[in-house]
Amino acid sequence: MIELRFHRALYAEKAVDEAVETFTRHASFERAAEPTHLVVRISGRDADREQRIAHELANFALGLTIKAGGAMSS
Amino acid sequence: MPVTFDGIPGDLVEVELDRGAMSLQVDETLYPLEAVYAAAYVFIDRCYVFLDKPSEGRIRVTLSGKKAKLEGDLARETVGEFANELLSCAWRAQIARDSRATIESVTARALSGARGAPSLDELEAFDFSEEAFDDPLGIAMSWEEKYAKKKKEGAAPAEEPAKADGGAAK
Amino acid sequence: MNLLQIRKPSTSFALPFKHRTVGKRVLITNTEGNFLLLQPDEFRAFAEGSIGRESELYKRLAERNFVRGAENQERMVERIQARKSFLSYGPNLHIIVVTLRCNETCVYCHASRANMDAVHTDLTKELAEKTVDKILATTNPNVTIEFQGGEPLVNFGVVKHIIEYALEANKKVGKQLEFTMVSNLSLMDDEKLEYLVKNKVQICTSIDGPEHIHDKQRKLPQASAHQKATYWIKRINQEYERIGLDPTLYHVEALLTTTREALPQWKAIVDTYVSLGCKALFLRPVDPFGFADKTGHRIEYPRKEYMHFYTSAVEYMLELNKQGVQILERFAAIFLTKILGGEDPNFLDIRNPCGAGIGQIAYNYDGKVFTCDEGRMLHEMGDSTFLIGDVETTSYRDLMGHETVRALAIASNLEAQPDCVNCTYQPYCGVCPVHNHKSQGTIFGRMRESTLCAVHKGIQDFLFEKLGEGDPATLETFKKWTTVRDRTHFLQSCAV
Repeated sequence: MIELRFHRALYAEKAVDEAVETFTRHASFERAAEPTHLVVRISGRDADREQRIAHELANFALGLTIKAGGAMSS
Repeated sequence: MPVTFDGIPGDLVEVELDRGAMSLQVDETLYPLEAVYAAAYVFIDRCYVFLDKPSEGRIRVTLSGKKAKLEGDLARETVGEFANELLSCAWRAQIARDSRATIESVTARALSGARGAPSLDELEAFDFSEEAFDDPLGIAMSWEEKYAKKKKEGAAPAEEPAKADGGAAK
Repeated sequence: MNLLQIRKPSTSFALPFKHRTVGKRVLITNTEGNFLLLQPDEFRAFAEGSIGRESELYKRLAERNFVRGAENQERMVERIQARKSFLSYGPNLHIIVVTLRCNETCVYCHASRANMDAVHTDLTKELAEKTVDKILATTNPNVTIEFQGGEPLVNFGVVKHIIEYALEANKKVGKQLEFTMVSNLSLMDDEKLEYLVKNKVQICTSIDGPEHIHDKQRKLPQASAHQKATYWIKRINQEYERIGLDPTLYHVEALLTTTREALPQWKAIVDTYVSLGCKALFLRPVDPFGFADKTGHRIEYPRKEYMHFYTSAVEYMLELNKQGVQILERFAAIFLTKILGGEDPNFLDIRNPCGAGIGQIAYNYDGKVFTCDEGRMLHEMGDSTFLIGDVETTSYRDLMGHETVRALAIASNLEAQPDCVNCTYQPYCGVCPVHNHKSQGTIFGRMRESTLCAVHKGIQDFLFEKLGEGDPATLETFKKWTTVRDRTHFLQSCAV
């Protein structure tokens, strides 16, 4: 399992949600909300796949956040 | 294991190589978040980019290569190019603010000159019901709408007797 | 000499200006594009504000709107409007790729040509008509349709169809219409030439220098590409003369793509162009598009070496002009028109903002529409960032309102660009966001690391040095290079 911690000041929650939704077919996701972070835990078929999905998901969430005008836009 | 590259000061940018990835810590007072976003975006086609805030006023940017592990010359090149892009984006953010009026005016003139006026068919097909933009100051409102809204909020017209319990008369 | 060396800079004497040391002088420019080349002591006095109102220097500075309190605001506005007049209209250059097929194989092919059996890359007559309909919807009263490929002569039937359809359709909208064709000329024949001349189609080709360089870089199976091209250049020019056109104005235009191999051959290249009767030579560096991206290790070079090539060739051309030979360099003519003429010649790649979308559009053989030819070239390399629609489904106004068109208009605005915003050459320069995107991964680009910026700055440094030297013969030649003689013969009549 890999844990990604998206800082709320840097990532828009909607963007993280949409990214998780997009990758939901490729792995299992568990969400948790902390005061400063949005936490996403990824469980995939194997470690390599988990790593790849974590990387792609992070890029996707960052891209969506920037497109939306930043973490604070929403 | 922490690594330093020639010509990249450790107190401004900290570089750590770990499994083909590296992290740079960026001082937010020098590089605003919008510049970090812009530089990060430029790199998402060739790197996986992750942002974090290790402490107040610092942003950590983690880069890992998509095609090859970031190590040796490739790592130095990537971190150097990212630093250059970051500087460029920080300055661009500043001058975009400074020259906003000129940029907007030239862009608006160019695009309106190129698009021209809509045809009747296009006007007919236009969806006027869609909200085009937020209008907190009510600039796009008609006089009647604005007036009615104020009235609802308590801006009573002069002819109406002011109520004893306040409202606009206060 | 820079402002840090000025002991007591005045904050109240000068209007905003930018400066740069050029040779032994200091060049100053302002927003409206006026310039002065000052001696170092003159620049010091200007920066310190210690110039008497009666002095000759004060008059020179005031005349060009460099002095606070003496400015002529009306003239300032007029000059800026003249330089930005292109903003009032939409695209005038419309590039149609009538096929990707080409019978030549070029080492740098920017267009990513296809083999001769790739007939699926031919534009159909049906899509061609829809393309013309889209073109004639432009807000620009002047329309140039440029046939490109691949090799347009491979799909000549569709070229003819476009010309005839456009002439007919234009009767309703009355644009000032022109046709140009970019061809390697190897598939030209008398019948095609007769048609092109009769229909006033300007013809442009590529000549990469003397035969041994040209044929090494542009392979034509079982023949010399150079011999074919030069034969037809002479033949077409003779045809223009035969129908009574002035040969100094009407002749085949040729373009050079400068590769590493060409760099030491600057003299032979100029001589080749002169011997072919060409009056202009465009010393274009190679771009990172198409096959050039893969062959870069063989054909690319540091831009410092290119600048040596460029200045050597132009110095030689200036010498030839002194001897009465008419030959101009295109880059120099474009910059000099802006520097000396006060107007923008609307060369779309060196414009602020650039012409992507708002000045030119490229239409692919499959109906796809791109902001510019470079954007279309990238699409052929697998990157469709600059795709803005399709001739069948996207309206003209939607093409112009596309977010990519907006982004490019902003990204190529030099007021928004680090480095450019403070550059002395800002009034005359332009950036290419597609080039930036390809070479640096961002449409905004980082100019200090840009090969295009190095070339633009280098050329302008050279031109201002020559202007500073003040040689009367050079100044006379420069003046001629900025004199545009319209080729009215190529304008189609436009009755509505």
